Amino acid sequence: MKLGVLSPDRPFIWMLPLIAILIAFTIIPLFYNIWLSFHEYAPFKRALEPVGLKNWSLLLSDERMWEALGTTILYFVVVLTAEVVLGMGIALLLDTEEFGFGFLRTVLTLTLVVPPAIVGMMYLLIEDPEFGVLTYVLDAAGLLDKATPILSTASTALWGVMLADIWQWTPFMVLIFLAGLRSLPPEPYEAAMLDGASAVMTFRRITLPLLNKVIAVAILIRGIDVFRMFDYVFVMTSGGPGTSTYTLSLYAWQQTFSFIKWGYGATLSLFTLAIILIVANLFIYIAKVRW
Amino acid sequence: MATVEYRRIGKSYGAVEVLKELDLTVEDGTFVVLLGASGCGKTTLLRMTAGLETISAGELSIDGKVVNTVHPRDRDVAMVFQNYALYPTMTVRENIGFSLEVAKKSKAEVAEMVENAARVLNLTEYLDRKPAALSGGQRQRVAMGRAMVRNAKVFLFDEPLSNLDAKLRAHMRVEIRQLHNRLGATTIYVTHDQIEAMTMADRIVLMKDGSIVQEGSPDDLYDRPNSLFVAEFIGTPQINSLEGRIVDDGGSPAFETGGIHVALPAGYGAHTGRRVICGIRPSDVTLDPDGPLRGTMSIAEKTGADVQFYVDIDGREFVAVAPRASYVSAGTTLAFAVAPEKLHMFDAETGRRIEL
Repeated sequence: MKLGVLSPDRPFIWMLPLIAILIAFTIIPLFYNIWLSFHEYAPFKRALEPVGLKNWSLLLSDERMWEALGTTILYFVVVLTAEVVLGMGIALLLDTEEFGFGFLRTVLTLTLVVPPAIVGMMYLLIEDPEFGVLTYVLDAAGLLDKATPILSTASTALWGVMLADIWQWTPFMVLIFLAGLRSLPPEPYEAAMLDGASAVMTFRRITLPLLNKVIAVAILIRGIDVFRMFDYVFVMTSGGPGTSTYTLSLYAWQQTFSFIKWGYGATLSLFTLAIILIVANLFIYIAKVRW
Repeated sequence: MATVEYRRIGKSYGAVEVLKELDLTVEDGTFVVLLGASGCGKTTLLRMTAGLETISAGELSIDGKVVNTVHPRDRDVAMVFQNYALYPTMTVRENIGFSLEVAKKSKAEVAEMVENAARVLNLTEYLDRKPAALSGGQRQRVAMGRAMVRNAKVFLFDEPLSNLDAKLRAHMRVEIRQLHNRLGATTIYVTHDQIEAMTMADRIVLMKDGSIVQEGSPDDLYDRPNSLFVAEFIGTPQINSLEGRIVDDGGSPAFETGGIHVALPAGYGAHTGRRVICGIRPSDVTLDPDGPLRGTMSIAEKTGADVQFYVDIDGREFVAVAPRASYVSAGTTLAFAVAPEKLHMFDAETGRRIEL
C-alpha cells in the first residue's frame, strides 16, 4: 500500500492537529494579549484604541497592583511551604508496607478530584461565622473570637483561603513524594542504620539529597499553579474584605471583566506570566532540574 | 572484638523456614566464612546478625550480650554489602566518614581517619568523587573503607567480591584478609565461592537448606568432608565420585566398581559388602601404567602448570590433574593410581562419610 504523504517518514502531517490546537489556543491568544496590552477599550467609541505604553506605566505606579502582588507572594510562600512540609511529613508516615496503608494512599487522591471552586464552597461553610466547624473549634479553643469572622476580617481572610488550598493540594505533594520515597533503594538506609545514624540524620543526609530533584519538580509544578491562584479567592472572598485578598489573577480578572479595561487586564496577566517565567526558569537553573 | 554466638537460631517467612535451629559460635578475632549455594540461608543469617532481619527463634549474642531485639545502630557491627550500598549523594570522603560524623567525632579526627583509610585502600585521589563516578572495584573499596573506620566489634561481609572481575577478586581477597590480620576483628564473611572460602577463612561453615552441614578449618573440610555434599562443594575441579561396593580382595578390603579394584586402608574391612560412593580428588591421583583406574582420555585441558585429563572410566567421566609434562593427545588410554589413604568413602544411601 502506498501511503504517499501520510507515510510515517513524513511526520509533519501527523503533527498538524497538535500544531493547530497550539496555534489556536496558545500562540494566537498570547500574541493577541501582547497586542491588547498596548491598546485600551474606549467605552464611548465601543472600540479598542492604541495607547502606547500607557498600560505598562500605569501598572508600575498602580498601588493596587503592588498590593495584589504582595498578597500573591505571601500566599505563594505560605501555601507552598505548608504543602511541601506537610506533604513530606505525611508521605514519610505513609511510606510503609503495613496493612491498610495502601488504602490510605488511595483515599488521598480524593481531594484532588474535587473542583477547586467546590472546595472553596466547602471552606466557606467550614469557616462560616455562624455555624462553621472551624469557627466553633477556634472559639472553643479560645484562639479566635466568634465576633471575628475569619473570611470577613482583613487580617485573617487570606489565611482562611490558604487553608482550602493547603487542604486540597497537600495530598498532591504527598503522592509525588511517596512515589519518590518508594523508588529509593533500601541499601543506603540499611548501611546508615549500621553506621549508627538516627532517623533525623538519615532523613537529612540521605533521603533529602536523594529526593531533591523530585521535591524541586513538585515545587515547580505546584508553585506555578499557586502563583496563578484564582478559584479560591473568587469563590470565598471575591478579594475582600476591602482589597485584602486580591491576588494578581483576581485583580486582572476584575480589571478585565468588571471594569472592562481589556488592555490593562491583558497587561496585568502578561506581567504575571513574566514573573512566573523568570522565577520558574531561575529555579530550574538553580535547582538543576532536568526533564 | 567480640564472640558471636548463635543458639538454636531460626528464621521463617510465614510457613517457609529458611533457617532451622542453627547453633554456631564465632570465636573472638576469627575469620569465619559462611559458604553455601544460593538460597541456603547464609545471607539471611548475616543480616540477622546485623539486625536487618528479625530473629524468629533462638538467641543471638554478641560479646556475651543477647541482641535479638537490639536496634542495628546499637549492635556495633560494620557491614560491607554485596552491592556496596554507598550513599549516592555523598562523596567518597563523606561516605567513609559518615559513621564518624554520626559518632560526633571532631572534624580533624574524621579527616585523619578518612585519609588513613583512603591511603590503605588507594582511594586518596578519588576522595571528592561521587560513587557514580567510580568503577566497581573502587566502589567496593569505598564500602571497605566505610567499614574500616568503624572499629566495630564485628565485621560482616555479604558476598563483597561477587560483582568484580576475576583478577580484581583475587587481589581483593588478599586485601580483605590483610585487613583482618591487621585489625584482628571478628569477621563473618558470606560467599558462594569455595575458593574465597578456602583462601580466606580461619573456619568455614558450609550451609545447605538452612542448616549447617559441616563446620571446620578449610583443611578439615577439604581433607575430611563429612558427606558427599561437602566433598563435592569444596575443591576444583570437583571430586570424582564412583559408586560401587567394598569387597574382600584376598584378605584386604578394596573398592570395586565395574571390574575396577582399588585397594583401601585395612580399616574398611569391617564394611565389606557395603554399597558406597568412593570420592577421589582429581589432584590425588598419579599417572601409573599399572594403576587400577584405567580408561580412554577424551579431552586434555591445559591450565598452565597442570593438565586436566577427562577420562572415560567404565562409562563415567573421571577428571585427573597431572603435571603439564605428561600431556598427551586425546584418545590415548591412561591409567592412574591413588594412595589408599587419599580415598574418601561415603555411604551410598545417606552420603555420610564412613569413618575409620
